[in-house]
Amino acid sequence: MARGPELFKLEHVTQRFRLPQGDVTVLNDVSFTASEGEFIAIVGPSGAGKSTILRLISGLLKPSQGQVIYKGRPLTQTNLEAAMVFQNFGLLPWLTVAQNVELGLEPRGLDRAARRKRVATYIAKVGLEGYEEAYPRELSGGMKQRVGLARALAVEPEILLMDEPFSSLDALTSINLRDELIDIWSDRDFPVNTVVMVTHMIEEAIELADRVLVLSSRPGQIAGDLQIDLPRPRDKRDKAFSEYVDKIFSLIA
Amino acid sequence: MDKPGGTTHAAANESNQPLPQIGISEILGLVELLRAKGGREDIYKLARELQMEFGDTLTVIRAAELLGLVHTPGGDVEIDKAGDEIGRAKIGDRKGIIHDQLLKLPVFNTLSGFLKEKEDHRASRDEVLEKLAELIPNENAEQTFTTLVQWGRYAELFGYNDDSETFYLDTEASA
Ligand SMILES: Nc1ncnc2c1ncn2[C@@H]1O[C@H](COP(=O)(O)OP(=O)(O)OP(=O)(O)O)[C@@H](O)[C@H]1O
Ligand SMILES: [Mg+2]
Repeated sequence: MARGPELFKLEHVTQRFRLPQGDVTVLNDVSFTASEGEFIAIVGPSGAGKSTILRLISGLLKPSQGQVIYKGRPLTQTNLEAAMVFQNFGLLPWLTVAQNVELGLEPRGLDRAARRKRVATYIAKVGLEGYEEAYPRELSGGMKQRVGLARALAVEPEILLMDEPFSSLDALTSINLRDELIDIWSDRDFPVNTVVMVTHMIEEAIELADRVLVLSSRPGQIAGDLQIDLPRPRDKRDKAFSEYVDKIFSLIA
Repeated sequence: MDKPGGTTHAAANESNQPLPQIGISEILGLVELLRAKGGREDIYKLARELQMEFGDTLTVIRAAELLGLVHTPGGDVEIDKAGDEIGRAKIGDRKGIIHDQLLKLPVFNTLSGFLKEKEDHRASRDEVLEKLAELIPNENAEQTFTTLVQWGRYAELFGYNDDSETFYLDTEASA
């Protein structure tokens, strides 16, 4: 997808948490700019602050130092233009698939008819027709994550945040969901065009993203910022692909 | 890429085969992986690459085979025409292919016919379990039940409401 104007940026963001045994610095002076239309993957070791960056972009967390600028303005409250997909799906077990997908819509002021329509549209987009009245307990992991994705997409956010969306799925299911995500994302009438995905799998980052940000171990700092110039669909067995893998690996290690 | 002698499912004439506990996403993932590999792979190698138990890999392959998406010549797994089609299809078109493949399986075909014959196009969970026990004797029908519901829902062959424990023809789901 073509790279557009600036959507958001982190400016010298440092994040500390107060713990009983003292303060910990989780992110240290992190700066980067994201453009509209980019698919950015963030990789880095456990505890590097990857999820923290997503929470900062969603406005759920205020930086200890520095600021998050969204569309030219400092972000001071929950970012209603962002929607999140979680590793553990984040579904409410007592609600059906359709009700879970509808969850994010009410706070955004859509009336009932508009909500229904959105729900139907995004359930179809992720291939969940037929599951509308199923409960999460009746679903496989792959279907649960489709619900998570449909719920995030249904709000038609400007930016989609995904925190290790495939890591609690088995190997084959995650192949399937990555494949379908590419399918959805390359669709012309896909409303979202900017994605930030956290992963600890380097190959997954290279397969999906236009750009990979590499975080060093705690406190997280930007250790690398790479454009992935490979045509899609990408093949792990390509030489150029494995060169990216090696490069990112050496940046983390 | 078809088996010599036609496209019949390996299991289509074995009406008494229980359904494996495998979700549609895994089957789709297998088909996508095979396509990326040019359509054929050694099963042992595939299991190793996926870091899956050999037995688990085989169970997914058997499920895909039951659906007529792959077959297993020698120690390999090879994609079939329907598998290739589904791999190429957009998300929205995949259901139709699975739908057609399911109807070639006696369990789904019989159940779909059973619902059609009923005046209200509905059946209770118990009625369906009874039917399953007839179709797949000597097997725990409950085990097949989960997969039956999952695959049937995906293909929109029928719907199931777990609150009322009712099956219904999916054409009525959008009410
Ligand atoms: N609200 C909080 N209070 C205290 N510590 C926190 C808080 N949120 C995160 N942390 C700590 O900050 C560090 C970085 O957390 P974060 O979840 O961002 O890392 P991560 O890179 O996503 O790691 P992982 O790969 O394990 O998910 C961790 O050590 C975590 O325990
Ligand atoms: Mg995390």
